Amino acid sequence: MHTHPITYPRFQIQARLLTLAAVFLFLYTLILTLAPAARARSWAVEYRWSQWIGFGVWGFVFILAHIFTRRYIPEADPYLLPLAALLSGWGILTIYRLVPSFGLRQTLWLFVSGLIFLVGLRLSPELRFLRRYKYVWLTGGLLLTALTLIFGTDPGGGYEKAWLGCCGVYLQPSEPLKLLLIIYLAAYLADRLPLSLRPLPLLAPTAVVMGVALLLLAIQHDLGTAFIFIFLYTIILFVASGKKRILLISLVALIAAGYAGYFLFDVVRLRVDAWLNPWLDPSGRSFQIVQSLMAVANGGTSGRGPGLGSPSLVPVAISDFVFIAIAEEMGLVGTLGLLALIGFFVARGLRTAMRAPDSFRRILAAGLTAYIGAQSILIIGGNIRLLPLTGVTLPFVSYGGSSLLTSFLALLILLFISSQPEDEPAPLPAPRPYLFLAGLIGLGLFALAITNGWWAIWRGPDLLLRTDNARRSIADRYVKRGSLLDRNGAPINFSDGKTGVYSRVYQYPNLAPITGYTNPTYGQSGLEASLDPWLRGLQGNPASSIWWDHLVYGQPPPGLDIRLSIDLGLQQQADALLGNHTGAIVLLNSESGEILAMASHPTFDPNHLDEQAAALLQDPQSPLLDRAAQELYPPGTGMQSWLQGIGLSAQPSINNAARLFTDLGFYTTPELRLPVALALTSAQPLRLSPLQVALAAAALSHDGIRPAPRLVMAVNTPAQGWVVLPSLSNAVQVLPVDTAISATQSRMVTNQPFWQWSGLAGQGKKTVTWSLVGTLPNWQGTPLAAVVLLEESNPQGAAYISQELIRVSMHP
Amino acid sequence: MSGPVVFALRLLLTVSLYAFLVWAFITLWRDIKLQSALLSGRKIPPISLSFTDDSQTPQVRRFIQAEVTIGRDPACECPIEDDSISGRHTRLSYHHNQWWLEDLDSTNGTLINEEKLATPTVVVSGDEFRCGKTLFTITLPGDTLMALAKKSSARGKND
Repeated sequence: MHTHPITYPRFQIQARLLTLAAVFLFLYTLILTLAPAARARSWAVEYRWSQWIGFGVWGFVFILAHIFTRRYIPEADPYLLPLAALLSGWGILTIYRLVPSFGLRQTLWLFVSGLIFLVGLRLSPELRFLRRYKYVWLTGGLLLTALTLIFGTDPGGGYEKAWLGCCGVYLQPSEPLKLLLIIYLAAYLADRLPLSLRPLPLLAPTAVVMGVALLLLAIQHDLGTAFIFIFLYTIILFVASGKKRILLISLVALIAAGYAGYFLFDVVRLRVDAWLNPWLDPSGRSFQIVQSLMAVANGGTSGRGPGLGSPSLVPVAISDFVFIAIAEEMGLVGTLGLLALIGFFVARGLRTAMRAPDSFRRILAAGLTAYIGAQSILIIGGNIRLLPLTGVTLPFVSYGGSSLLTSFLALLILLFISSQPEDEPAPLPAPRPYLFLAGLIGLGLFALAITNGWWAIWRGPDLLLRTDNARRSIADRYVKRGSLLDRNGAPINFSDGKTGVYSRVYQYPNLAPITGYTNPTYGQSGLEASLDPWLRGLQGNPASSIWWDHLVYGQPPPGLDIRLSIDLGLQQQADALLGNHTGAIVLLNSESGEILAMASHPTFDPNHLDEQAAALLQDPQSPLLDRAAQELYPPGTGMQSWLQGIGLSAQPSINNAARLFTDLGFYTTPELRLPVALALTSAQPLRLSPLQVALAAAALSHDGIRPAPRLVMAVNTPAQGWVVLPSLSNAVQVLPVDTAISATQSRMVTNQPFWQWSGLAGQGKKTVTWSLVGTLPNWQGTPLAAVVLLEESNPQGAAYISQELIRVSMHP
Repeated sequence: MSGPVVFALRLLLTVSLYAFLVWAFITLWRDIKLQSALLSGRKIPPISLSFTDDSQTPQVRRFIQAEVTIGRDPACECPIEDDSISGRHTRLSYHHNQWWLEDLDSTNGTLINEEKLATPTVVVSGDEFRCGKTLFTITLPGDTLMALAKKSSARGKND
């Protein structure tokens, strides 16, 4: 059988492609409706309906467009219209997803642009009037721009006064100006073919283009549009003349314009700096770009699904950053499709240019194609940090009436030019510029795809862990975070509410410096920070369920509960004893190393963090600081006498002291899954955290064995139930048993089964009081040790607190 | 259940996007194949030369290559047994969508429609040119593209 290619009639290709586009957009609309249910993991939610209006209008416009193109230009390219339809429909639905009220406005703009397109189809497809009235177009475009310079406003209230309009309808004249300029240049240059590069004939267009570009740059600070103008002029001149040196001259002009812009205008400098060094100022100048890269990372390969991501976190996502919204919700799979659509459009546009019946229409088609391709690459490249960010729109997709109308007019002209296949194409003396243009745009799109993949896959996991990624706290509202429980299972911190409105409740706020907080604005601290992977469900859950929940819901699985060694009863006693003193208490089981109480005063109430954070951060008492583990204090004389009791001679040699201090763990950072201060080295003057001292004290009450500290006891996993989390270090025999026993007995408190030391350290206002206490080795109950530190000179007070604490702990 | 349902729809969504692209590529690929078939045929409209050879029998030769050299040399595409013709006398070549006739510095020269051929000249169907004593008449297909397109589609049907 001879395989002769089966080809479809043009209108059948167009109809089929439009149907596929409609299927895609219908599914998108449907998913957007159902998205709230998927996010809440329940059907009982409020669904989104408004985007169906957009889908309906889209369908109406493009069914008519199909019928009309079939009637008036039956031989036109069958791909351009469906490609534009898919892109603009995708854009409208994305805008609906971001801001429904803007989606409605864009739907109106689609309706208006569609009507103009349909009326325009009745024009003569030869486009002679475009060529004949070239100066009218040019003057009109320049006049509009001039009006903008005088009456320009910014409907968004920003600094770019690039819009004209009133009564809620705004037009950005630089969009149609691009189109008018392309028409003028094509007509002007086509009249002067073969083009010589003598300066005189080129003086007028060069002056116009450079003048407009410079004005835009100088007055509106619009780097992107200025760049587009110079680029389009270059390409059109290159296409018309076929001379390569134009590219070189233009490159020099572009670099010069870029430099001038950088040094003259803050906006340009800001954007270039944010492009080169986005990580330096992620909450200020490069906020947009860093947020958009995190959105791309959150999209990953498959995307979070329409309506299931958080693209609204990126500023101006509807216009400049619409690609990012698509990248987050459709993933790399979706954006590669989008880039392919743009590439396809460019390929058909260039084919239209090559087959154009005369050189005017050929240059015009090439110019329009270059406009669509270059502007897409410029803005997408700016979004994903391949290029500096410029505020141009993504043709067909971005929010904006002027942009959509301009794109539709470009589409109309391209369709007209492509609708003359009976005419022989004009001779093409120099095909190289077309190949160059195709190669340039193809290369650009390829670079975009690679860069997008880099952020989405390679750098994605790192980016998502950034603390300025607000998606984590959004997930906390939808997924129950694990609770922190005391050793008897009583809740300390837990999440309350139901899906969508979970909030953290701090049942025992006095523990806040230790257990910490988790807050959408102020981040995380203490155990909430260090245990976050478990509490968030990213650790301890099966990898398959983490993967599935991320894929399907864009959320982590429910968090895991964690049991601490804290005994809330003893903790209450410790907090009551410490009272209004500034200081810390650590009480532990000296055999197992389990910390039963850990207090740091003054404390704060994380339930009211949002109102109090600013005051807390500036409070000279630093209530956010965990004094028991995160602050180091001098040991002082009290500690000296204690140390002498356990074998340090009155005049110790440096080596002896260093060995003893090493044994007691004074140079070792305690490891217990809690943020702690790093221990100093033996080369520095000795400073200790209360936690370190408590561990050393515990050795005396337990036959000279320093226990491994434990605060986090067990985690409740879905697969195995409560799983014990082992201590991160080992118990060490640091003193001979008899040294420990004799040391404790020498400091025995009269008629009490415990020993005690108290003493001062530091000088002046920085004086602190230490008090160490512990059960005697012959105590039959649980061996205990405790340290009390007061940031004041008060040995009696410290001794009282420590004695009372050990007494209530021994007889609970 | 809402999550998996929406996830299934999302898979369909991606499939529909790529269905659009793949279908567009398939139709394009078929179009390219058709175009290449048309253009490869169209490239050189075959040129036919009618002349009378030295044994006085009328001859018609059809050439499908882009260059036809006429001369006494047997290596020529169109060798002619005529003593008044040079070894490589004249050349017909197809470029710029036209057939061109060009004299190759022959001893006796080439006459086109009874006029001396000085520069390469475009020839059309019905033109006559003379090399030595032999007179050639050129026949070219009419509207080459249309004729070929018709022929090509006819060929498709016959298969």
